[in-house]
Amino acid sequence: MKLLDPRDPRHLLTVGFLVLAFLIPLVIGSSLYYLTILILMLIFIIYASAWNFLTFSGQGSLGHAAFFGIGGYAASLVALKVGLPPLVTLLFGGCFAALIGVLIGLTCVRLREWFLAMVTFGFAVIIQTLIVSQLAPVTGGWDGFPVPKLVPTTIPGYLMIEYYLVLLIAIAVILTFRYLLQSRIGLALAAIRENEVEARAAGINPVPFKLFAFGVSAFVTGIAGSLEIFHFGYITPEIFGIDLSFWPIIYSITGGLGTLSGPIVGTIIVTLLWDGLNALGLTYARFIIIGVLLVLIIIFLPRGLVSLPDEIRKRLKGKRS
Amino acid sequence: MDGTIGILSQVAFWGLYSGCIYILLATGLNLIFGVMKIVNFAHGEFLMLGTYITFFLFVISGFNPYILLIGSIPILIIVGVIVERLCFRPILGTGKLNEIFISLGLIYIFQNLVALIWTDEWRSMRSPYADILINLGPIQLPLDYLIIITVTAMILVSLYIFLQKTTLGRAIRAASQNRKGAMLMGVNVEKVDMLTFGIGAGLAGAAGTLWAVSGQVFNPYMGSIPAIKGFAIIILGGLGSIPGAIIGGLAIGMVENFTAFTLGGSWKDAVSFILLIVVLVIRPTGLFGEAEE
Repeated sequence: MKLLDPRDPRHLLTVGFLVLAFLIPLVIGSSLYYLTILILMLIFIIYASAWNFLTFSGQGSLGHAAFFGIGGYAASLVALKVGLPPLVTLLFGGCFAALIGVLIGLTCVRLREWFLAMVTFGFAVIIQTLIVSQLAPVTGGWDGFPVPKLVPTTIPGYLMIEYYLVLLIAIAVILTFRYLLQSRIGLALAAIRENEVEARAAGINPVPFKLFAFGVSAFVTGIAGSLEIFHFGYITPEIFGIDLSFWPIIYSITGGLGTLSGPIVGTIIVTLLWDGLNALGLTYARFIIIGVLLVLIIIFLPRGLVSLPDEIRKRLKGKRS
Repeated sequence: MDGTIGILSQVAFWGLYSGCIYILLATGLNLIFGVMKIVNFAHGEFLMLGTYITFFLFVISGFNPYILLIGSIPILIIVGVIVERLCFRPILGTGKLNEIFISLGLIYIFQNLVALIWTDEWRSMRSPYADILINLGPIQLPLDYLIIITVTAMILVSLYIFLQKTTLGRAIRAASQNRKGAMLMGVNVEKVDMLTFGIGAGLAGAAGTLWAVSGQVFNPYMGSIPAIKGFAIIILGGLGSIPGAIIGGLAIGMVENFTAFTLGGSWKDAVSFILLIVVLVIRPTGLFGEAEE
C-alpha cells in the first residue's frame, strides 16, 4: 500500500488535515489559550491512539492512567535528578511505562474481558497508592513536585515550538501504528482479536503478540503522559485518576474503535465539545452530555463517528431502492 | 495480651461491618451477571444514589434513617429497571466490551446529575444512635454497626426466600441456569432481565442507605471504588455464585481493615486489588469460577 494515493478521498482528507494542523498556529498563534487547547488535544490524540492500539489485539484497559502517570513520573524524575533535557527523558518515561506495561500484560494475557478491565483498573489504584505512601520521599506524596517545561519559557514563542514538537511526535506515533498494523504483526493481532482459538490453530502464539501490544501501547501512553507533565510543569498523583483512564476510552469510542482515524476524530470532536460547553458555563452538565453521547453512540453507531458517512450513504441507498 | 485480642477483634468487627456493604453490592452484581451475563461497571453509582436519596429523605422527613430503606430500595429498583430497558437491553449480545463502555457513560451521567442537584462537596449524616456503644467484654461496639449487620442479614434472608419460594424468583433462577431453556419453558426472559437488574440496583440502594447511616462521608464520585471492590469480590467468590459473594465480601472487608491497621490507611483500597490480581494470576477464571467455555 502506498503512503499516499491522490485518487483516494481519505488520503486527500488526511493531507488537508495535516496542512491545517501545520497552519493553524500561524492564524491563532498569538492566543496562548487556543494554543494550550491544541497542544493538549494533540497529547490526547497520542494517548487515545495508544489506548486504541491495545484494542487491535482484542484487549482493553480501564487503567491506562497507570502508564500515563508512570511515564510522567519517570520522565520528570530523570529530568530533575540527572539534568537531561525533557525532550530526551520522554523516552525514559515511555520505556519505563512499557516495562511496567509488559509486567501488567503478563498477568493479563490469559484473562477474559471483564477480569482484564478490573485488573487494569486495579493496577492504576495500586500504583497511585505506592506513589503517595511508600514512594512518597521520592515523589513528594500528594503534593507532587515542579518539573521543567518541554520548551523553556524563556525562549520567545515557546508555546508555538512546543505545539510543533508535539505535532511531529503525534504524526510519528500514528505513522508507526499504521506501519505496525499493516505488517505481519498487525495481521496476527487481527487474527487473535477475531478468534484466538483459530489463531492458535494457524500457528500464531497469542501471548507474545498480546504482550507486544501491551508494551507498545504503554510506551506511547508513557510518552503522552510525559508530554502532558512537561506541558504543565508540575506533577501530582492525580495523574492516576479514574478520569484520565476514561478519557482515551471515550475519545476512541466516539471516533470509532479499531480504526486509526477514530481516536483522532473522537479526541478533536469531544475536546471541542468539551471546551465549547465549558465556555457556555455548563460545568457538570457537560459531563452528562458527554455521557449521553457515549451511550447513544454505543447503541446507535457502534463503529463510531468515522462510520457516519458510510451509515448515511447506506440509509440513502436503502431509501432509494 | 488482653489488649491486643481486644484490638484484633475490634478490627475484625469493622471488617464484618464494611463487608456488609460489599456483600450487598456483590450480591446484586452477581444476580445481574447470572441472568444477563453482563457486568455493570456503573453499579457503584447506584450505591451513591442510595446515599443521596437517604440523605435527602432524612433531611426533609427527619425519620429514623433505617426506616428510609423503604424509600431508597424501591426508588433504586425503578432506576435500575429504567437503566436496563434504555441502555443495556439494546446492546445485549453485541460484544463484551460494549457493556463496560456503556457503563462508563452511565457513570458520567449519574455522578454529574447528582453533583448538579446536591453539589459535589463531601456530605455526611448522623444516625440517632451514633453515640451508643455496647460493651462486649474487651471490645466496644457501636450500636449502628450491629444494626447494619442485622439489617444486611435480613435483606439477604428475604432475597433468599424470594428466589426460592416465589414464581418470579424461580424464573430468575431458571434464566440464570439456562437462558434458552427458561425461554422455552415460557419464562419471559426480557422481563426477568429488567426485574433482576432492578433488584441488583435496589440492593445497591440499600447498601447506600447503610453507608450513609453509618456516618461515612459521601460525594457524587464515591461509588467507583466500592463498586470495583464488588467486582473483585465476585471474581474471588465466583461469577454468579451468591454464597461466594457473601464469603468474598466478608473476606475483603476483613483483609482491608487488617491491612489498614498494619500498613496504614492509604493501603485500604489497593489491597483488595492486590488480592484480586494474585488470585487471577493463579486462577485466571477466579477462585470458584468455572473453566473457560
